[in-house]
Amino acid sequence: MRFLPACAAICLAAASGGVCAAQDIYIHAPAAVTAGDEAKLSTSGSGKATFYLSGPGVSRKTDISLGEEIPLRAQDLRVAGRYLAVACSSTCRSTTFYVSAAQPETLAFLVHPSRVPVAQSDAVSGVALPFDQFHNLVLTPLNVNFQLTAGNASLLSRAAPTRDGIAWFRSSSGRAAGTLQVTASLDNVPVLRAVQEVASDPCNLRINGQRTPAGISVQTEPVHDCAGNAVPDGTIVTFTATDAGGKSTVDAPIKHGIARAEIESSSATVITAASGVVMGNELRLGAQR
Amino acid sequence: MNRMLNSLARGRCFVRAGMLFATLFAFALCSYGADSDVQVELNSKQAGPRTVESLTEAGIIRDYRFAWTSMARALEINTFDPLEGCFAGQAKDWLKQTVASQQRSGISQRYLDQNHRLEAVFYAPEGDVMELHDTAEYQVQVIEGGRVIHDEHVVLHYVVLMTPGADRWVIRQLQAVPQF
Repeated sequence: MRFLPACAAICLAAASGGVCAAQDIYIHAPAAVTAGDEAKLSTSGSGKATFYLSGPGVSRKTDISLGEEIPLRAQDLRVAGRYLAVACSSTCRSTTFYVSAAQPETLAFLVHPSRVPVAQSDAVSGVALPFDQFHNLVLTPLNVNFQLTAGNASLLSRAAPTRDGIAWFRSSSGRAAGTLQVTASLDNVPVLRAVQEVASDPCNLRINGQRTPAGISVQTEPVHDCAGNAVPDGTIVTFTATDAGGKSTVDAPIKHGIARAEIESSSATVITAASGVVMGNELRLGAQR
Repeated sequence: MNRMLNSLARGRCFVRAGMLFATLFAFALCSYGADSDVQVELNSKQAGPRTVESLTEAGIIRDYRFAWTSMARALEINTFDPLEGCFAGQAKDWLKQTVASQQRSGISQRYLDQNHRLEAVFYAPEGDVMELHDTAEYQVQVIEGGRVIHDEHVVLHYVVLMTPGADRWVIRQLQAVPQF
């Protein structure tokens, strides 16, 4: 640390026997300050001086009397970080101190995704960050309890220590469609997030159909995923018909659990259905009489 | 004829001088934007649980450098504009408070020869937040009315939270700590 001539101790004409105008100033900061607390700096010396406080969110200049304590207001020490205190009369002296976060009061909790297929491994994750009332990140280790609940079933209950102010988890999704409650709690202050669990890809896709005067009417049985959850309406099922004239396809959305399609064909026809990567059974219909 | 040629030559000379001035001016602006005063290096080998891709690394370095350049500018000339876009949340709030407070007290700060060694310590599974430790080394001057009242070479430690914005990474938390 160096001090510039403007503030340096200046002995006026000291070499020629003049009076040294410099004053010994000493300024001392407390070892530890917590955000939002008042603090005091001690000084030595005598006479008037100018005091500067510079830190995150604050820049203050006041007149002080050397030898007296300098009170620091709580409102000036709300942001955690490094503060610089400078006292200047004929010379400047400085000290620094750190303000640390206060007790945790809130928890920032990020959960992904908002919608997830059931029975997916490592599909749900969450990150929790504890903050004090002044929004400083609390860096001292704390235990955050994560809980995942689907209906009445508990999928996960784990205490994770924060490291550098962060705790996190990753978990598989449940087996039943519905709302997954994800909770992070710190000192019994819970923060709740909801993840919508939806059916996964269709499983055992089965179709049936019959001839109609216009062609062929084909439909799926109620479409479920492998865990038995109804696949959501709007999911597309692709029907493929192959007859003497060639191949034709039609996409049909699932409505009330079933996808339906009308296919124009009078000759012998083979119909298959697929949704995503899942293939259904093969339906063979003879030529129209 | 000679007079016309001389006049033409003089005109060209003015045009060239103008172009040179414009080029130098543009270069000066660009070099300010290039943040030549702020050096940033990033080590993301220890980051997890998500791996930091090389393009993400480059984005972090670029945006962190730009943020410190902007912060230094805001705190030196006591204006809010440079803080837009680089900071969000708590970091932006306290920087604005600092600038407003400096405007009232007539104090400014100058950051010189910045060197930042960043270490990514956490990258969220879904990539929506990254925690970095910055060991920053720079010269900081506190100025009042054109007079430097404090000049110090510092090595400081910052805990930094960055999140991805629409087109860049922004600093949400910038908290100096005595040590990591």
